[in-house]
Amino acid sequence: VTPHDIARDTGARLQEADARGLNATLAWSQPQLDTEAARLDEMQATAPLFGMPVAIKDNIVTTDLPTTCASRILEGYRSPFEATAVERLRAAGAIIACKTNLDEFAMGSSTENSAFGPTCNPSAADRIPGGSSGGSAAAVAAGMVPVSLGSDTGGSIRQPSSHCGVVGLKPTYGRVSRYGLVAFGSSLDQIGPIAYDVRDIGTMLEVLSSPDERDSTCGLRPFVNDPGLYTQGVRGMRIGLPREYFGEGLSAGVRSALDRLIAGLKDAGATTVEVSLPNVGYAVAAYYIICTAEASSNLARYDGVKYGHRTGEDSTLDDLYTATREEGFGAEVKRRIMIGTYVLSSGYYDAYYLKAARVRTLITNDFNKAFASCDVILSPVTPTPAFRIGEKTSDPLQMYLTDIYTVSANLAGIPGISVPCGITEKLPVGAQFMAPQWQEALLLRTGSSAQQLIR
Amino acid sequence: MTAIGRNEVLHVARLAALEVPEAELPQLVEQLQRIVAMVDQLAEVEVAGAPPFQAGPDAAQLRQDALAPEPLAAPPASFAPGFADGFFAVPRHAAMEEE
Repeated sequence: VTPHDIARDTGARLQEADARGLNATLAWSQPQLDTEAARLDEMQATAPLFGMPVAIKDNIVTTDLPTTCASRILEGYRSPFEATAVERLRAAGAIIACKTNLDEFAMGSSTENSAFGPTCNPSAADRIPGGSSGGSAAAVAAGMVPVSLGSDTGGSIRQPSSHCGVVGLKPTYGRVSRYGLVAFGSSLDQIGPIAYDVRDIGTMLEVLSSPDERDSTCGLRPFVNDPGLYTQGVRGMRIGLPREYFGEGLSAGVRSALDRLIAGLKDAGATTVEVSLPNVGYAVAAYYIICTAEASSNLARYDGVKYGHRTGEDSTLDDLYTATREEGFGAEVKRRIMIGTYVLSSGYYDAYYLKAARVRTLITNDFNKAFASCDVILSPVTPTPAFRIGEKTSDPLQMYLTDIYTVSANLAGIPGISVPCGITEKLPVGAQFMAPQWQEALLLRTGSSAQQLIR
Repeated sequence: MTAIGRNEVLHVARLAALEVPEAELPQLVEQLQRIVAMVDQLAEVEVAGAPPFQAGPDAAQLRQDALAPEPLAAPPASFAPGFADGFFAVPRHAAMEEE
């Protein structure tokens, strides 16, 4: 099998999924796939990702395919530079297969906020695939590509991975360069891999993680993928179960899938410890202050002058900005910009943003205390399996509350992985493992064991 | 903590360079009221002694303050609508023509 064979096969898979109406891709072409394969003709076949097709979430910039962030305001935009993550994938021999659908500017939990229509869940076409990296998770689940890149600001890799029955890792904040990731919530955003198998997550993380002088938050912590992680098992590991995450609001089907996993991990030699995260009840509130505040600042740059869409209604400069943004942004993006502008406005900054930043410290301290008595924390990823397309679109607050188990890891900057752990209502259910900063190896080790138990 | 009503929503929209069509205003006010009520629950948290969280590794690396070529796939003149003397040129705005 040559990279050219893989490029043709990938094209056939993408075409078949597009024809089926999955709507997971926003841009790809067979000539571009063939060019990718030709690039590998000059490369050693020993490169770590040699010939591996990788789908890229469409908020990560690429020079040879457009980057829209699933927004009308960036329709047709082509970046003049490449994201560091994409550069590293190419250097490691990957074939950039396609750009994938997402909630506009990664703001959402269902991929329904895409200006180009929702992605369907490969397990059930009337269900959401999760979001915001719904296209990237669905592409792996549907067998279009073996791995993809997503981004995770409040659960956007882990939640769609759970709903689609694949594995998704949000690395430690600062592990993977954000250069070329279109900014949403800069203190929370992190690029990470989605794959069918935990081992591929480790291979991808090693390629993606190393310092980048173009992102000053990208630390000096390259990840070394030790093959022993995947056979070590969980014997002797202490798994923390936060009491706040297993109470009210968790559906019976998700709960029983998690209970079966916990029993299996115990049988494999792990011990469980009840832990407490007393401030996580405030995580969703703190998260929606911080991410909207940062989004309102980051999205100020879309004004019709520097990027993408520009209105025809421009009798004054203010009209140009306002009409461009009104025409270009969807309802959820506008809502978040307005909340963010409100919490940062004169007289409210201390009560909202500053308070949320302090609560963030309390939540981080809660995790530090919990990790004193356990190696990893196990929790649900979502309260329920994937809901129906359209079920929550009229109630943004209900949609925000589905992020309840995932936002804390972003607030604390710690890594989290979602691993399939069962099926309920004929839909996949994921389990989330979280670890202290820079301890992704623990997540791959426990995730690998969980994967073996379920399979 | 505070009631957000029609006037506040219109004020925030102006600050954010967004328009709110009149027909959408009542629903948006109701949605924002509920979201603000949800985030208002932070008022009850005691945060004395907790400093604001700082994102990023403790040892963030700052690059040398030196000029380096931009990592562009192609020179700016090849993709910008207008580029001259090291500057991007944007379409002249009608408001400028009148001055």
